[in-house]
Amino acid sequence: MTPARAALALYPPSWRARYGDEVLAYLDDSGGGPAAVASLAWRALPAWFWPPRHLHDRPARMRSSLGTALMSWSMLVGLGLVFAQLTQLQGLAPPGHPQIRWAYAVFDVTLAASALIAGLGGLPLWLLMLRRARREQRIRDMVYLFLPVLAPVAYLAGLVVTARMVGGASGVSQGWFGVVTLAGFAAAAAAAAGPGVALRRLQPGGPALRLAAAAAGVSAAVMAVAAVAIVVAVVSLNLWARQFAGYHDGALSGLYLALVVIAATVTTVSAARGTRAALAVSP
Amino acid sequence: MTDRLDRWADPPLLVLASLADEPKHGYAITQDVAETMGVRLSAGTLYAVIARLEARGLIEPLESDDRRRPYRITMTGAEALAQQSERMSKVASVARERLSTRLGWAGA
Repeated sequence: MTPARAALALYPPSWRARYGDEVLAYLDDSGGGPAAVASLAWRALPAWFWPPRHLHDRPARMRSSLGTALMSWSMLVGLGLVFAQLTQLQGLAPPGHPQIRWAYAVFDVTLAASALIAGLGGLPLWLLMLRRARREQRIRDMVYLFLPVLAPVAYLAGLVVTARMVGGASGVSQGWFGVVTLAGFAAAAAAAAGPGVALRRLQPGGPALRLAAAAAGVSAAVMAVAAVAIVVAVVSLNLWARQFAGYHDGALSGLYLALVVIAATVTTVSAARGTRAALAVSP
Repeated sequence: MTDRLDRWADPPLLVLASLADEPKHGYAITQDVAETMGVRLSAGTLYAVIARLEARGLIEPLESDDRRRPYRITMTGAEALAQQSERMSKVASVARERLSTRLGWAGA
């Protein structure tokens, strides 16, 4: 790949499709030195943040944002459930530090609210896609659409079997906990990927898509509060709960918090872009 | 303050001025702007400006058989350019007159 093509690759697909050939012809004519390539690369950022209106495919933007936000939201929920398993359910709440209990309560409420908003907002779109997949007998798309149900059910069934096989009086070993956790993230990824792929294949639009995109924005904002609660609780536990500090070393907590922040950021940014497209006034 | 004065060489205005006489493709625009207005537009700036002007309906692309797609100014673009030129002309006229009175400047 030439430097010019690499710089062009930084632009949004719609921008490349419209101006890519012209820019390459321009660089052929002008000699296309490093300065020209650098200026192209530099201008790629505003092309993402402020896409020209005539290139702005709102339904495509909403579908793409929904797919990304759903995946990162699922990862964030997975990280949240790990948090709940390792802290709340272990009864880790040192006296004299009420912010930890508050963080637990905020996490519980916001996680439930975020899931409820995402579910209710996305249901009409899911039904719309399911009706079309049934009408056109698109079996593969129906499987994709049912993955949010099938993947967790399969995971929970596997979890029960695993717990019976390898679990003791005090639960499973640390190694098996790691295996079960990774399998949980794989199930969450599969559950989120299903509707994402269906969105790309079926390309739905209309009010149901706008509602889902707007709901994703609200759900992501609520989930960001849950992420803050996780950060507050984990940092507090590391500072003030010896049993937690003995149970989880600082490096692991740091890695965990970094993953939470990344997942929350991707979810919020993606959902915000989709919501902006949903709320944009037609030109 | 000097940077603010550079806004007289606003790239969208330069591109509109370049297209005021005839349609041109990207490289021809930068050459024309450099030769007639003394400003070098980089590739990134040029295509950011073209995209913005096209989105606002101030220029439009013409059909082309090769990759060098020419652009022409629209009626809306011509009106916007005329208004801006008139404004700039008035400012330039006032500036020349006052500089001449105060400093004896004979640049006009």
